[in-house]
Amino acid sequence: MSRLIAYRLALALPQLAAVSLVVFLLTYLIPGSPAAAILGERADPESIARLEAQLGLDRNPLVRLGEWFSGAAAGDLGTSISSALPVTDLLLTRLPATLSLAFGGMVVATAAGIGLGVLAGVRPGGPRDRIITAGTSVGLSVPEFWFGLILTLLFAVELRWVPVVGYVPLTTDPAAWARGLILPSIALGIGAAALIARQTRGAMAEALTSRYVDTLTAAGVPRRKIIGYAFKNAMVPVLATMGITFRILFATSLVVEVVFAFPGVGNLLLTSVIGKDFPVVQGGVLIVAALVIAVNLLIDVGYGLLNPRVRPQ
Amino acid sequence: MMEFPAARLVAALATALALTACSANDDQQTTPGSGATLRVNWGGFPESWAPGAEGEAGYTRVPYENLVEVVKGEVKPMLATSWEQTDTALTLKLREGVVFHDGTPFNAEAVKVNLETVRDAPGPYAGPLKVIKSIDATDDLTVTLNLTEPTPSMLTTLSTRATPMTSPKSIADKSIAQTPVGTGPWAYDAGSSTTGTRMTFTAFDRYWGTAPAFKTIALYAIPDDNQAVGALSSGEIDLSDVEPNAIDRLKGTPGMETLMYPAIRNNPMFFDRGPGGVFEDVNVRRAACYALDTATYVKVEPDMAVRSQHFAEGEPGYNPAVTGYTHDLARAKSLAGGKQISFEVLAAPFTQKQNEVYASQLSALGWDVKVQVAPPPQWAATWNSGKYPYGLGANDELTPFDWYQAWFAADAPGNPSGTESPALKAAADAAIQAGATPEANALWAEVTKVIADEALTCAHIAGQETLAWNSAKVTGVAAPANAWEPNLVNYRDLKPAGA
Repeated sequence: MSRLIAYRLALALPQLAAVSLVVFLLTYLIPGSPAAAILGERADPESIARLEAQLGLDRNPLVRLGEWFSGAAAGDLGTSISSALPVTDLLLTRLPATLSLAFGGMVVATAAGIGLGVLAGVRPGGPRDRIITAGTSVGLSVPEFWFGLILTLLFAVELRWVPVVGYVPLTTDPAAWARGLILPSIALGIGAAALIARQTRGAMAEALTSRYVDTLTAAGVPRRKIIGYAFKNAMVPVLATMGITFRILFATSLVVEVVFAFPGVGNLLLTSVIGKDFPVVQGGVLIVAALVIAVNLLIDVGYGLLNPRVRPQ
Repeated sequence: MMEFPAARLVAALATALALTACSANDDQQTTPGSGATLRVNWGGFPESWAPGAEGEAGYTRVPYENLVEVVKGEVKPMLATSWEQTDTALTLKLREGVVFHDGTPFNAEAVKVNLETVRDAPGPYAGPLKVIKSIDATDDLTVTLNLTEPTPSMLTTLSTRATPMTSPKSIADKSIAQTPVGTGPWAYDAGSSTTGTRMTFTAFDRYWGTAPAFKTIALYAIPDDNQAVGALSSGEIDLSDVEPNAIDRLKGTPGMETLMYPAIRNNPMFFDRGPGGVFEDVNVRRAACYALDTATYVKVEPDMAVRSQHFAEGEPGYNPAVTGYTHDLARAKSLAGGKQISFEVLAAPFTQKQNEVYASQLSALGWDVKVQVAPPPQWAATWNSGKYPYGLGANDELTPFDWYQAWFAADAPGNPSGTESPALKAAADAAIQAGATPEANALWAEVTKVIADEALTCAHIAGQETLAWNSAKVTGVAAPANAWEPNLVNYRDLKPAGA
């Protein structure tokens, strides 16, 4: 297992470097100068040129890329063009909100997805299975932002059980943190939950038709215990799905952050892309990529724990 | 009956969420906002609070104040109590006994640091301050701005959000970017704030003026309009800027009131006016003006209002004789004389619809107008560069001098053709020479008339800002006195309901 972790960690570095390079190149392809964006719509060409020089935007892109890589290796992601603040500080301030939301979304996706999938899979074709399968179709087809708005109207505006907006850091007030996470987490996790539920349902139904299940049943093993054995086997393909699902979930969280006014990396990235704040965009994408790689690593480790055959020999 | 522990887990989670949710309701009743706290949303915090950085006035005007304020076109004292302006200098006497929230005294040196910071910062507000050659702090309470040219609009500039007075100590240590320190009635309270979600400002006990009725102002940044309306309806916030279509949705919520006020104004500009240009002929420009039907456009954009000219009645530059180009297609066709014109216009996503409507209206003249859409940064850098013969953008200049200098003077950044008629130059020179004398207003009104007669621009429209508030929490809400500023309310006049 430690070899698997070491191998994946070694792969992470070139992956992050490749992501950074692509983002750097993409920011060059976007038309328009950041200096023009900062100076406003009536800036004259001389002012734009002066500011570009001041920001170092007139220098060789390769030199800038090299400087950025060496800075990033030392934990310095540069300085924000629009706020003149260190990008690392900006991102570290926003990271807890993003991690909270991703955590909440994963909890919802995992708990609801696996729970509902198992409930449907143990009695395939039954009324409960049909209801859950229909529900997952809705969950897969409803956009997260729309679902978020509906949840807000119902639980925040009408019932007033939870706040419309209200991210509070975990360290400040854990109860308020949890309250503020409820609606965004459900909105974020519902699509992923539907995907996981479908996969779990299929894997569970298949596992329960295996020959070892027939043997255990014939041996008089209680149904509850048999479902437990089948569940462990069913989780192997489900974990693979969860890896993909969580990647999608991270991407979706950027939209959910905007809908729920979550002060996370996604919100920061959005304003930075619009304002052409290249250093923040590069740093933000690097952080998101690192998070996705970390989550995938955790899933690979879990996969290896559940299925010894996939562990590297 | 549940068959598997996972199902129990789901049930336990649901119960936990429900219990947490119930406690949310309890908490909401004690959330600040009742009593002396006002909770306000303007959609997004400034990325930086430093002077010279761009930020919505609804945020920056809570902790910050200016040297002067302009109310209905009249300059009034604020942190400066009196002033004297010549063609080469503006001397201001400062208010005594004013301190910044960090205890730093407000004095001539602080003014010098702030104005130099804005002037030299790479930001959108630096332009109007470039005429300040140097600043002399003559004594503690006297400051002189030495000007490179006559600038009758300088006092107005000093009233805008471009020139807030912030602590020179915070500017020096660069903490001002994230921690606003001004002289206003409310001081930033970092301990009660949540980064990115809520910024709390409490009454400053050493404030030089009248203590505000609200002891605390909590500012929020809810970018999604639906969520802002939801937060208003649920009582989480008391006041917010909303889209006009939210007015109907809020009607069902008890105590909810709304108002609209005019803010940013926009109008088409004919850039290609030079020799051989598409819009060199004044009759072609007039034809376009008569073909544009702003009355029809505002029917599909309820947050816009038609105006006859750039300045409103009561503002310097307003000319009652200017009535605008009321839509008249027959007259437009006659003026166009069957001339076939084809050109492209660059739109930003937020001006795309307006540009497309106008392009459709101009096509009634037989003209072929193609609308290209670009991301905001590209649009901002290109739309008025001269590459496109015609463009549509905001005109946020508060004074006729600034408006003329920005768009119509031969060397104006918004006049890429560099052409200016002798009539316009003569009218503008006369108005500039009049300086701050009482005659100046009439002379600037004449400049407005020349601009209209020459059809350098037309189809004036003002964006309407919509404010919604809970009258059970706050009273006295009105449009801000600060002219044309979007996302703002008259903070100092607000009172808790029942107070």
